[in-house]
Amino acid sequence: MGIIELQDVQKVYQLGKVEVPAVKGVSFCIEKGDFISIAGPSGSGKTTILNMIGLIDQATSGEVLIDGRPTSKLKDAELTRMRHETLGFIFQSFNLIPVLNVWENIEFPLLLGKTRVSKAEKAGWIDHLIEEVGLTEWRKHKPNELSGGQRQRVAIARALVTKPQIVLADEPTANLDSATGEQIIELMKRINRELETTFIFSTHDAKIVDIADHIIRLRDGLITENVRRGTPVGAACPTGN
Amino acid sequence: MIQEINIALRNLNRQKKRSFLLAGAIAFGIMIVTLINGFSGSFVENVNENFSHLMAGHIFIEGVEKTTTGRNYYFISDDKILIDTIESLDLPLQFITKRSEFSGNLVYNGKTLQQNIVGADWSKENYFSERMMILDGSFDNMSEPQAIILSKEVADRLSLGIGDRMLVRMKTYTGQQNLGEFVLAAIIADPGLIGSMSAYANLDYVNQLLNLQTGEYKIMGLYLSSMKPIDTAADTLYKALEGKVQLFTRDSDDEETNFVEAMMQQGKEEEWEGLRYRLYTLNDILSEVQDLVNVLDTASLVILLVLFVIIMVGITNTFRMVMLERVREIGTIRALGVQKKGVLRLFLFEALFVGLLGFTAGLASAGIIMAVLHQINWGMDTPIFILLKNGHMTFKLLPWQVIMNLLVVTALTLLAAWSPARKAANLEPAHALRVQN
Repeated sequence: MGIIELQDVQKVYQLGKVEVPAVKGVSFCIEKGDFISIAGPSGSGKTTILNMIGLIDQATSGEVLIDGRPTSKLKDAELTRMRHETLGFIFQSFNLIPVLNVWENIEFPLLLGKTRVSKAEKAGWIDHLIEEVGLTEWRKHKPNELSGGQRQRVAIARALVTKPQIVLADEPTANLDSATGEQIIELMKRINRELETTFIFSTHDAKIVDIADHIIRLRDGLITENVRRGTPVGAACPTGN
Repeated sequence: MIQEINIALRNLNRQKKRSFLLAGAIAFGIMIVTLINGFSGSFVENVNENFSHLMAGHIFIEGVEKTTTGRNYYFISDDKILIDTIESLDLPLQFITKRSEFSGNLVYNGKTLQQNIVGADWSKENYFSERMMILDGSFDNMSEPQAIILSKEVADRLSLGIGDRMLVRMKTYTGQQNLGEFVLAAIIADPGLIGSMSAYANLDYVNQLLNLQTGEYKIMGLYLSSMKPIDTAADTLYKALEGKVQLFTRDSDDEETNFVEAMMQQGKEEEWEGLRYRLYTLNDILSEVQDLVNVLDTASLVILLVLFVIIMVGITNTFRMVMLERVREIGTIRALGVQKKGVLRLFLFEALFVGLLGFTAGLASAGIIMAVLHQINWGMDTPIFILLKNGHMTFKLLPWQVIMNLLVVTALTLLAAWSPARKAANLEPAHALRVQN
């Protein structure tokens, strides 16, 4: 079943009078529960595609469908609500809120929605995620007291706290050493298996690309390869699902 | 919302120095305005009270006789009808004072000085001694009929010592030249404004110099138990006296004219026979003090506004800087699901807390300064004694003024932070996340 579908998506940035095409008509389908890598060199359009899937940027033309719902006509408030309810984000620079400690950073997205969960249930879930990412001893620490790998673990827990269907990770290993980067990808993969959350991560690191089930390779804003477990897949999601 | 408040508070804590400087600027403004408000609040009360002591009363009755030549003689000849009327009324009266005064020239050792000399019955007005700061001599010396109390400045200028006798050249109540002699009983500290203007002598001797008959005097003063019922009591007394004695009207149609001036004008323009009485109050005399207080209050509001325009510029600049520093953070929380309104609220809460912190600190500092100033005994010889209560500064802060200042601070702080907060809220998440801090 396709949870994300991009239909001939183009993105053009306007830099003064110059138009810079970042994505030049991209179509693909992502299945629910997949572990996807969007790979390609710098400037290939990885981040732009992730931003459009993450509803923090809008396509110049084409359509991004999340869980079958077109998003190009949605207003900012609806996009924000959808981001909160459906998506989780992991950033290259971790982007934790510096004034909050580990526990509070993870809790933060839970306080934004209208759905109210009991305090005990919330605390139990956050503690579980902290344990899952191996930061139990660091739960009261502020981001500046953590290593890069630990910060990214907090970001992973924060991305998962609202139990989103999709987690987007933009070069999650770029600011980490290779060993820590691999651990982070392994952690994401494990959570993907355990929670059946769809993970989409971008990378230009060939070593970690292959861990993904589904690989989409980009070059100059175009897809050069779209394979799922070694088999090329079609651009459109199967209909009738 | 609670999380936004929580983050706003923590953000303030993140940049302690900046937050405290900003709150400090607000606190300074509030402190100044609160001090002015507090001072002007007690200003009227203190001035009225001090004047009531100096003038020996809250309500005054003065007799005026018009001669055939059109001149006015000021005296009260038979006060029985006045006293009977006063006593028949249920006025909050403490006591009645009788005074006469004239302006004459004191002459001693070849030196001359003009001086207003007040004659009072010291056996009844002994409370007045408590308000004088005797530097030399004694109040007991006033038992001497020709005794006089002078301020230090006057005594120094005439090179007078206790027991020295001086001449006084003055006019009787009918305008004839007269000479008298005083003996210096005491020297009092010079409170400046009023002190050097008046010297104090015995009523009988002053009346004798004015050529008034026994039982006659110039001004009757009614000393009330408090300041509040002055106008009501004056109206009651005026109504009771109407029909019994001739009275100057108390209404002034001309708003440009001071009430007392209007009565003076009546004395010049109108004709009558026998004694006609003027009834006026301390409020009538000091109506301009209230105007001064209104000016002070307006000035404090203007100061508040000017200070806050300056502070607002500071707040706006600071929040613009804060916004630029936190662009990625804003992008992150927007990506995580915070609505534009949430970002706006986050910044506005931060500004609100700075404003409230500044307001509280300003109010507290003003309170401390007021308490310290109140503890200081400035004495009765200070030029500002007329503004003090028994030598102490007093402050009266009205709740509405505090609330008004709070509202002004809150509104201006939020207004100052509004533009940067809106810019922060309108940042595109993708653009904000691309920014390298």
